[in-house]
Amino acid sequence: MDSVASGIQEPFDLIRLSLSERVFVKLRGDRELTGVLHAYDGHMNLILSDVEETIMIVDQPEGAVNGPSTVNIAKRKMDMLFVRGDGVILVSRKYIKWGAALSMSY
Amino acid sequence: MLIFSVFKTLTDQQVTVELKNDLSITGTLKSVDQFLNIRLDSIKVLDEARHPHMMAVKNCFIRGSVVRYVQLPAEHVDTQLLEDATRREAAAQQKR
Amino acid sequence: MASLQGYVDHRVLLILQDGRAIVGVMAGYDQKSNVVLSDSKERVYSMEEGVEEIPLGLYLVKGDQIVLIGELDEALDKAVDLSTVRAEPLPPIRY
Repeated sequence: MDSVASGIQEPFDLIRLSLSERVFVKLRGDRELTGVLHAYDGHMNLILSDVEETIMIVDQPEGAVNGPSTVNIAKRKMDMLFVRGDGVILVSRKYIKWGAALSMSY
Repeated sequence: MLIFSVFKTLTDQQVTVELKNDLSITGTLKSVDQFLNIRLDSIKVLDEARHPHMMAVKNCFIRGSVVRYVQLPAEHVDTQLLEDATRREAAAQQKR
Repeated sequence: MASLQGYVDHRVLLILQDGRAIVGVMAGYDQKSNVVLSDSKERVYSMEEGVEEIPLGLYLVKGDQIVLIGELDEALDKAVDLSTVRAEPLPPIRY
């Protein structure tokens, strides 16, 4: 066990050890954030700074359930952000690429 | 409790609340409660041309459960203090 | 406390989880932010025609259905000719 892993007894320890580090957050509604973690609580409410949000907008042609769909990605930056915990799917230390995160949640 | 305290220190500051119906409302934070319900004064809805529904609304009460994000004024947030308080709260939780 | 005290007897706009917008005079509320409106009307927005007002009278709205309660500036609200306002209805809340 490495020095970081040995300090982890429960899931929230992983988040505690990420304080003041840049984290990756996957949210409901096809949204992802990266930012520096400054605070969290038991609901997984978060406060992050220097945040970049990525929103994936899937356009599926009307009626075509399995048809071709186009994916648009919108990005924006925010200085200091409170994130309500009920939208949080995962918090991780490392940046996860789009495809990897998606296959983990569906 | 920690996040509630943070919001209390930000009363009378300008914040932008983004709701889960994609409405963004900027205003002066007047008060907050333990459910993180929020009262805003002197509000302005982002993209008012598309959302004229709140044209005549000057102040509002927002239910905490419908909030997605709150954009905070970075210059009024002491990040070191936040991290210390978060560690203290995490330690207190673990003792229980 | 972010209380609703200041809104009693004032004209308010309620936005609900399903996107509906209701205006009325706040007659009362309770701890769970259940709200009673008097002389209330639903405002139905569409791009095809002006805003339609549907009278609802005395109306009870459950607190968990409420997104937002806004105090209406009555002078400003009366100055708006709703028949000229065209807008998409507000989207419902999606968790």
